[in-house]
Amino acid sequence: MSDVAQLASTVRRPGVLAWFVNPYVQIINGALLDTCGEILLKKGAIASPTAQGWLSVVGLTPLASAWTWIGIVSYVLSLVSWLHVLRSVPLSVAFPLINVVHVFVPVGASIFLHEHVSGKRWLGICLIVLGVFAIIKPLVKAEEKL
Amino acid sequence: MTALAIFLCIAAQLFLVSGQILFKHAMNEAEPKPLAAKVRLLLVGVASQAVWFFLWLGLLQKWELSRIFPFEGLNPLLLVMCAWLILKETLTVESWVGIALITAGLTLVAQ
Repeated sequence: MSDVAQLASTVRRPGVLAWFVNPYVQIINGALLDTCGEILLKKGAIASPTAQGWLSVVGLTPLASAWTWIGIVSYVLSLVSWLHVLRSVPLSVAFPLINVVHVFVPVGASIFLHEHVSGKRWLGICLIVLGVFAIIKPLVKAEEKL
Repeated sequence: MTALAIFLCIAAQLFLVSGQILFKHAMNEAEPKPLAAKVRLLLVGVASQAVWFFLWLGLLQKWELSRIFPFEGLNPLLLVMCAWLILKETLTVESWVGIALITAGLTLVAQ
């Protein structure tokens, strides 16, 4: 058997890559992809000049930056991952877990974008995450009915 | 943050949430509807999310990511508020606690 065929059969064998499609692994993967997407979009946004006047409200110029497009790909992949998660995990479980992005994004922004995240900002983020946890039950109900 | 920036952050989240609800209704197998109606819902959903995306890029050009990303926390808050305002659902005590915490957190982040 050639190396390629062997590799292909390894990949297809159930179990070898099963850990990757595990929804809980995918929640983390999705959160990481979302974080990468946001950081890349920010890089694209600052790589391009801001429009003047009212047009500056919308960011059209970042479309000229490759960072933005890689960011979009990363963001779309995170959505695919999220849809995969929701096929097997109820929203009431998946939603609190995906909120790790509220920690991942500021940590990523401070490492890769050298943003200073003050103690006050972290306190605000903590309150938001607590608030999201408090709102889960009504959220799931609202999601079903809306 | 400026009042305009805070307003734009909230507006962006409103467009994002509207898009999510529109997509859900377009794809929902439980409520059958003609193809034209599905396509219309999808198109309005895409337009809504496009508005969110370009508002978000505009905000990213001016503000730190770690400062505006927490506004994503408005997403669940807005869904619950929509259920309250549109469907006249009663809000439980835990909903109000959640709304108060998210609002307080955002006030700190926006300062």
